[in-house]
Amino acid sequence: MKGVLLIAINFVREQRWPILVLLMWVLLLAFLGLVSNLPREREDLLFIFKQVAVYVVAFSVFFGGSAIYNERKTRRILAVLSKSIGRQQYLSGLVLGVTIASAIYCFALGLTGSWTLGFAGFPMSQVWYLMLSLVAACMLAGTIALMFSTFLNPFFAAGATAAVLGIPAVMAHTTASTWAYAVPVYTLTMQVMKASFQSPGRANWLAIGLAVAETVCFWILSARIFSYVDIAVAVE
Amino acid sequence: MEFVLEFENLTKQYRSFASRRRIVALDSFSLRVEPGEIFGFLGPNGAGKSTAIHLAMGFMRPSSGTGRMLGARFGDSHARKKVGFLAENVALYHRKAERLIRFYGALNGMGGRGLAQRSREVLQLVGLQDHSTRNVGKFSRGMLQRAGLAQALVNDPELLILDEPTSALDPLARVMVRELLLTARNQGKTIFLSSHLLSEVELVCDRVAVLHRGRLVHVGRTADLLVSDEHSEIVARGISAAAFDNASAHDGVVRLSVPSKRQREMLERIWSCGGEVISVNPARRSLEDIFLEVTSDAATSEKTQ
Repeated sequence: MKGVLLIAINFVREQRWPILVLLMWVLLLAFLGLVSNLPREREDLLFIFKQVAVYVVAFSVFFGGSAIYNERKTRRILAVLSKSIGRQQYLSGLVLGVTIASAIYCFALGLTGSWTLGFAGFPMSQVWYLMLSLVAACMLAGTIALMFSTFLNPFFAAGATAAVLGIPAVMAHTTASTWAYAVPVYTLTMQVMKASFQSPGRANWLAIGLAVAETVCFWILSARIFSYVDIAVAVE
Repeated sequence: MEFVLEFENLTKQYRSFASRRRIVALDSFSLRVEPGEIFGFLGPNGAGKSTAIHLAMGFMRPSSGTGRMLGARFGDSHARKKVGFLAENVALYHRKAERLIRFYGALNGMGGRGLAQRSREVLQLVGLQDHSTRNVGKFSRGMLQRAGLAQALVNDPELLILDEPTSALDPLARVMVRELLLTARNQGKTIFLSSHLLSEVELVCDRVAVLHRGRLVHVGRTADLLVSDEHSEIVARGISAAAFDNASAHDGVVRLSVPSKRQREMLERIWSCGGEVISVNPARRSLEDIFLEVTSDAATSEKTQ
């Protein structure tokens, strides 16, 4: 467990600059909250909040899709996996790292959102529930991207992840809405997008539970695939 | 005997996705490394040395064959707890040297004051004690290699696997690494050393193996390899070097290299010329001569096949 945590923290440390750039958006939201007339411009503020919130899902795909590739390309992975760290532990560390990175963003956004939107009349508990939904969505999206990145380069891994996340969404629109629960990233993201002052939305614990369960499944699958992958190609 | 490192009939093939061409990096490779020895692993570029090491560390899966490291199958993460590894072209995270070494130590299950003390110790061992608070990202290549060596040593390993550990080091640092390796061997540790620097290998290795195009072409004790059965070196004085083939003179002392079969004949010739024989010894070859001989022999036999 200690090894997993070390790898996760190290991952977040290595991604500190993209995380800081992401946090600038949260700062922008806080600034808008300060300068705007909250009761009058609350709809605009909520629109920006929702937009800023869903960015993190895309970023978690990029975080997950490039993690292994970057480590292999720089050959830093060799020094890590030469220690008593199994590949499964290594992947767990990366999944946890992606989750922590998105959780940091969601926490900052939750703080800003509960201050600005809360002041404008949006239920504060609902802000935190939406952030929890986003963390669950990021965790699943990041793990799927990580799984593809064990055998694809980041560009194709991101494409494949977009397909896995997008197909259930398209199916939900064209056939039955239950398809949205096949890979619940869409369901969880849409909860954030559909939230309004009139209808802040209800907690969908089933989608969150499914996201956690599917994260575990994709993590197991990733570990299985990764155990067969040659992580080092001879430099000679 | 329990071997520290055992490669058993290992083959590693890469398949080019586009051309479907197969590249054999390692071909039916078998080797055993005994405990407490410094084992030199030699071969030209592309011979498969790094592939063999990466298979042992579990970074790759063999196409066929097996291997054991410290009694466990290759890739066993628990066995790696007792192994120190330094990769060729070492790459480390950019953070302060001491923190970095502690990070790698912690990955091996170490912690607390013991780890902090050990980190300082290994940085001192590799001569980086004055740079412990500097970011590794700002290190020169030689310093980076020394930091890599420090991370390999932090867990006080039983087996050290070093892939070109001195390639970027200056002569002083090379001497330091050589002494470090000899001290480790005296403490009962085993060192598996892959290097292009044959003079270094010659100085520290108990045994060497030569790999050529994925095949093991030679393995033996370094001392035995360096001594030639086929040639003798005769040292004499009171004769003219010009009168003999393969002779060199320095301060009136003449050194002759002769085939062992002609040793008696040559000695009688020296005496008949009024010379005095000082010594007769088996000729010493350099590891470079052996390396070139073995790899060219292997290349010739491949061509004839």
